[in-house]
Amino acid sequence: MPETSAWEKASPGAGGPALATPAAAQDAPSHTEDWPPRGSYASPSPPDSLAIDFVGRRRAVFWLALKTGCLTVLTLGLYRFWMKTRLRRWYWSATRPGGTPLEYVGDPYEKLLGFLIAVVILAFYIGVVNLALMFVSFSLFQQNYAAYALSFLGVIPLWFYARYRARRYVLARTRWRGVRFGMAPGAWGYVWRAMMHWAITLLSLGLLWPRMTFWLEKYRTDRTYFGNARLTQGGRWTMLYRATWPLLAALLLGGLGSALALGAGRGEGYTLILAAWGLAAYGYVYYRVETTRLLANHKSAMGLALTARPKPFRILMITVLGTLATALVLALPLGLLGFGVALVQFAQTEVMQEFGELGALLAALPRPLLVALGVALYFAIFLLWATFTHAWVTMPTWRHYATTLTIHNPAALSRVSQRARDEFQEAEGFAEALDLGASI
Amino acid sequence: MTVVRIGAAPEAFEATGLYFDGDTAIGDLARVTVDEAIRALKIARIGAPPLHWPLDALRLLPDQGGGDLVILHRRDDPVARLILDDALLLERLPDVRRPAPLVNRGRLAAWALAAVASVALIVFALVPALANQMANFIPPEGERALGAATLEQIRGALDETGMGQPVAFCETPQGRAALETIRSRLAPGLPAGQEISVHVLDHEMINAFVLPGGYVVFFRGLLQAAESPEEVAAVFAHELGHVVSRDPTRHALRSAGSIGVLGLLFGDFAGGALVLLLAEQLIEASYSREAEAAADAFARDLLLDTGITPAALGSFFDRLRRTYGEAEGFLAHFTSHPALSERILAAETDLPPGFAARPVLGDAEWRALQTICN
Repeated sequence: MPETSAWEKASPGAGGPALATPAAAQDAPSHTEDWPPRGSYASPSPPDSLAIDFVGRRRAVFWLALKTGCLTVLTLGLYRFWMKTRLRRWYWSATRPGGTPLEYVGDPYEKLLGFLIAVVILAFYIGVVNLALMFVSFSLFQQNYAAYALSFLGVIPLWFYARYRARRYVLARTRWRGVRFGMAPGAWGYVWRAMMHWAITLLSLGLLWPRMTFWLEKYRTDRTYFGNARLTQGGRWTMLYRATWPLLAALLLGGLGSALALGAGRGEGYTLILAAWGLAAYGYVYYRVETTRLLANHKSAMGLALTARPKPFRILMITVLGTLATALVLALPLGLLGFGVALVQFAQTEVMQEFGELGALLAALPRPLLVALGVALYFAIFLLWATFTHAWVTMPTWRHYATTLTIHNPAALSRVSQRARDEFQEAEGFAEALDLGASI
Repeated sequence: MTVVRIGAAPEAFEATGLYFDGDTAIGDLARVTVDEAIRALKIARIGAPPLHWPLDALRLLPDQGGGDLVILHRRDDPVARLILDDALLLERLPDVRRPAPLVNRGRLAAWALAAVASVALIVFALVPALANQMANFIPPEGERALGAATLEQIRGALDETGMGQPVAFCETPQGRAALETIRSRLAPGLPAGQEISVHVLDHEMINAFVLPGGYVVFFRGLLQAAESPEEVAAVFAHELGHVVSRDPTRHALRSAGSIGVLGLLFGDFAGGALVLLLAEQLIEASYSREAEAAADAFARDLLLDTGITPAALGSFFDRLRRTYGEAEGFLAHFTSHPALSERILAAETDLPPGFAARPVLGDAEWRALQTICN
């Protein structure tokens, strides 16, 4: 026997079913060494931890995003529910904890319905409540800023509500190894907590920001399930202060720079202030990545635990370079196209008539054609921007977070069993209607 | 039934798969074969009886990243999954890419229809009804503020330079004076306390419109297309008819409500287009036939009271219609004029006895008005 198949490793001495002869195993279509992945089936020597692979390629997500994006534009936005579903399926299936892919089972039709339900409620809000606010605002204050302010305040709770519901929907439609994730209902509880924490954070001038980060994440995590296993967010909120040092350093540097700029060294002061802004940008990313890491490391469920090792600098570079590259790639062809449209528009004014044949030719172009060109250009920018950022920002960021995460004690998975389907008619409609779509 | 096979029987298929039963998170190694006799996929596992999945009930998960794994499920089983690492089997499964909806789409469609109907009800019934009520209660200062804000929006939206430069007001002193002469000539016919501000926008559109709070706005194009000051005064009087009946207030409130809802439906995708739509709506305000007829009747009385022949309005539009056709930008709310008011306006014959027309502007004033933008 040249090689022990995974089948035999799993059943030492059992003999296996009648089919399991070594010859048959050898004739079977070629398998890679690690198929099926170790730890995905019952075996006497399960691994201590599961790494997370990401097998997606930039080219694949680029084409998928471009194709679905074109359809979205052609259907006046209706296809966006299908686009989102298909992209999520792709991202999920390319992410493989312990070699077995995640699965996204969300349905585009339920997203469309959820959106429509949200639109009914928001249409009432925007149509009727805003109208009333505007009436009151004009009647009492003779301007509309009061209406805008009140209307904006009214949307804030809805915003948190939508965020929680969207997360619940996505978790309810995510599976791994055939087992559903889930999130307990609790959107309104999240709303008032989030508003309280924001108020406290603003009143403390940002000093209690880590406290908000921790408690809101704990609220969400403690309501998250994998099958029947409930996640728990451990740790303390003060542990997140570790993630704030670049921001504090930027504050210090900025203060120093301001003092200098006001006093003796003008030039040095401005240089320091500029450096402080750069450091603050890094500090913000550092805070986001580090808190995610620290919080992940203190999550557990039924004996399962996580280790995350994402690198803040890496995330910053992916974001900055990816966005820059996208802008560069788009600037060239769109600049040319835009210049062409501008030239033609200019040609339609009287001045260009003097330019002879070319001017006359350009001036003869029908106006509807120009309008169509302009509209196409406008959508092309949206479309290409979204497509390139998928390939250069979203996917690499996702991959970095995925591949730097490890699951410990997978043996505990044997105690996990399925949970019931969360029907959730409204899907992520509010997030969609309020444009909180995030990147995926 | 006899199955006639042409050529060789298909090769035996065999693969090692990973089976998840949809209950536990630990998979089963599976020896996967095709049983051609019963047209089923046989999934053999240790310690469990083999499963037989009919070949034509097998479905493939779509849009998978990586492209190295094939994940199959039964059409009628939402959770169990079989993962294979080669795609050889797919050739034997003709139906594998057909859809397998998880949710009841019939019910979804019913809900969706109800949702669309509710939005339509809000936009076309609730918001207009509310706007009509509010227009009666809004105090004059509030109404003027609403008009001022809307005028700014329209000036911005009509910008054609693309630089965000609002369309300029035309205000040469002589032109303003001529405009003021017409305004004060018509003013006695207005209800007490009704403030009127009149503006000219530097734009070639042949149009005029009213905004809440007594803002009457002419485009340069209309002043240049008119052949006599009487024609401008007649349009002015008609627009004042709308002011008095508060049509623009109702209209502005209504579109403020419904445009927001439309923005919601299309997302920020078409945000820019909506501002244009808003402006268009207010300028091309197509009021109801009753509102137009009332404005015409008001205009006729006002013109008669102030010694201007009402026929000027009818003749002006007839001429414009002959010259430009029903082209866009030309007083859209007049092109849909009710037949009744055509008669009112054309009726030179039923001028009251003793009516004597007095000129509106002198020649110099009229020239000043037509060149108010220079």
